[in-house]
Amino acid sequence: MSAALDNFFFSYQSLIFAVGINGLLALSIYTVLAVGQLSLGQAAFMGLGAYVSALLTLHLNWPFPAVLLAAMVVPALAALLIGGPTLKLTGVYLALATIALGEILRIVCNASDFTGGALGLSGIPSKTSFTLIFSLLALVLLGFVLVARSRLGRAMEAMREDEVAAGVMGVNLPAMKMGALVVSAMLAGLAGALNAHANSFIGPNDYSFDQAVTILSFALLGGIGSPFGPVLGAIILTLLPEFLTALHDFKLVVNGFIIVVAVLFMPRGLLVWRIGRIG
Amino acid sequence: MNKPTLAVSVLALAAAAAIWAVPAKADDVTIGAIEILTGPNARYGVAIKNGFDLALGEVNKAGVLGGKKLVIQYEDSAGNKDQAVNGARKLIGLAKVPLLLGPTISNEMFAVGPVANQQKVPIVGTSTTAAGITAIGSYVFRTSLPESDVIPVTLKAAQAKFGIKKVAVMYANDDAFSKSGYDVFKATLDKLGIQILTTETFGSKDSDFSAQLTKIKSLNPDAIVVSALVEPASGILLGARAIGIDPKVRFIGGNGFNSPKLGDIAGEAADGTLVGSPWFIAKDDAANTKFVTDYRAKYKEDPDQFAAQAYDTLHIVADAINKAGAADSEKIKTALQATKSTGVMGPFSFTADRDPADTSGVVVIEMKGGKFQILK
Repeated sequence: MSAALDNFFFSYQSLIFAVGINGLLALSIYTVLAVGQLSLGQAAFMGLGAYVSALLTLHLNWPFPAVLLAAMVVPALAALLIGGPTLKLTGVYLALATIALGEILRIVCNASDFTGGALGLSGIPSKTSFTLIFSLLALVLLGFVLVARSRLGRAMEAMREDEVAAGVMGVNLPAMKMGALVVSAMLAGLAGALNAHANSFIGPNDYSFDQAVTILSFALLGGIGSPFGPVLGAIILTLLPEFLTALHDFKLVVNGFIIVVAVLFMPRGLLVWRIGRIG
Repeated sequence: MNKPTLAVSVLALAAAAAIWAVPAKADDVTIGAIEILTGPNARYGVAIKNGFDLALGEVNKAGVLGGKKLVIQYEDSAGNKDQAVNGARKLIGLAKVPLLLGPTISNEMFAVGPVANQQKVPIVGTSTTAAGITAIGSYVFRTSLPESDVIPVTLKAAQAKFGIKKVAVMYANDDAFSKSGYDVFKATLDKLGIQILTTETFGSKDSDFSAQLTKIKSLNPDAIVVSALVEPASGILLGARAIGIDPKVRFIGGNGFNSPKLGDIAGEAADGTLVGSPWFIAKDDAANTKFVTDYRAKYKEDPDQFAAQAYDTLHIVADAINKAGAADSEKIKTALQATKSTGVMGPFSFTADRDPADTSGVVVIEMKGGKFQILK
């Protein structure tokens, strides 16, 4: 039995890893959506984390925990830097500015020899493991549940429903927005680093606008009532194409159809329940 | 509203179970192939699959390993490296294939190669031309000539025939294939002592090249060297003639130019363009004539170089399996390394580094009246 199980894990390893990594990405966009902002810069933060971690591993041979930490700190610094000007924007303007962030990163990576240009970085050693990815995901999820049950969680919910009213009630809006952006950048960077060390190859086009939209769709499908929603969305959207492989050319059509139906009939996402409160 | 989702997931699970349940017959020899069969780049993967299937029919007339049927199990990568890795893992882990063919593009190979190599399963790329592919490991082979073997032939021919001394270089800097081709162009130009007047870059989705071309026009080059995929390449040719660059200034392209689409889009603007190709449809040796006739009969269209490379590769692989005497990865790898054959692309053997050793099959072709013909 254990040989069969090993075989299953080997065959589906990259899929299983992708579920966990996409779960982290879903939580990253959830952090921003939870305070009522719309960012499309998640793919850029992920790419930043992936490149920083890959370069540190390949050139400086840093230990993996330090690499992961750096892959969280650098996107966080970037978020702090761009947060000032961009968080003054709201709604669609913020989304546009964050799209620009992704494009800038892509162009810089393509133009620079240090990042391998369009050829990307290959030969990244495989250092992630099933346990590491899923314990990190569980840890982050637990953190979010605790936050959702606290005063901070209620402030976030108030901001999401009505920013002006929340402000009047004494919620520190700029600090909350900045905090959410920084935390989401750290999560995306972490996911990027895990992804880079699971795949052995990264290129600038992996973190394009498409990827940003994919990450956003995790949260939209799953719903942002609770942190479990986006993770469920990530699981479904990662596994769905695999289950549909038998349909060959119709795979993409059916895949899209299922998503459209889900969004039409469940506009608030699959999981609408909120986390109970304490205190 | 949770019921429909449940129904969908049950259906999906059933579909997945159905795939697992497809059994290969015990006395067949099954090998795996990962190609782009759906999505925007499917034309490459489908041409390759056609080439494999055509050769497979010929191989199975006699069978392998004393009459066993050779079967190819395909996995679709859709051009996505994650799906390519998924496909490879399933082929190795579940189907237990002794050998993998593909994947279609170099970026996918950089992700899939390490997995196959680690599991000691030989993997043979038929269309991966970027630098560094076979450096992944000792189980990674390729039958496609890398750009570093084809481009020098093209440039030498251009230098010898047209006395080219100074050129302008253009390349798409956001695409791995184009960048890798540019690196080879630059190294070869330096080696041949051809002067580079300027190097201009663009994005592979750009459609307006007038800024770069105007600058190039003012420098009066003997030729313009371009590394790009066929769509921007056609745009550059059209743009160059539109701003009045002399038609005598030839364009020299990499493998991306090697497509009938170039003539379809750019028409007469493409006349005089030079490209090196590991294979050409009008090569008139017996093997190639038979391949082209059979391919046209089976698929009602002309083969391209991807189909030709795939066709040769399947014959090479089938021979290796026969020489190995068993569907065993290690033995097949040893047999592959010793390959000596002649196919539609010309004589073939592997170097010690598992790249194609023989470049004598390379032909330089020239665009005339919207069609390629061999440069004479």
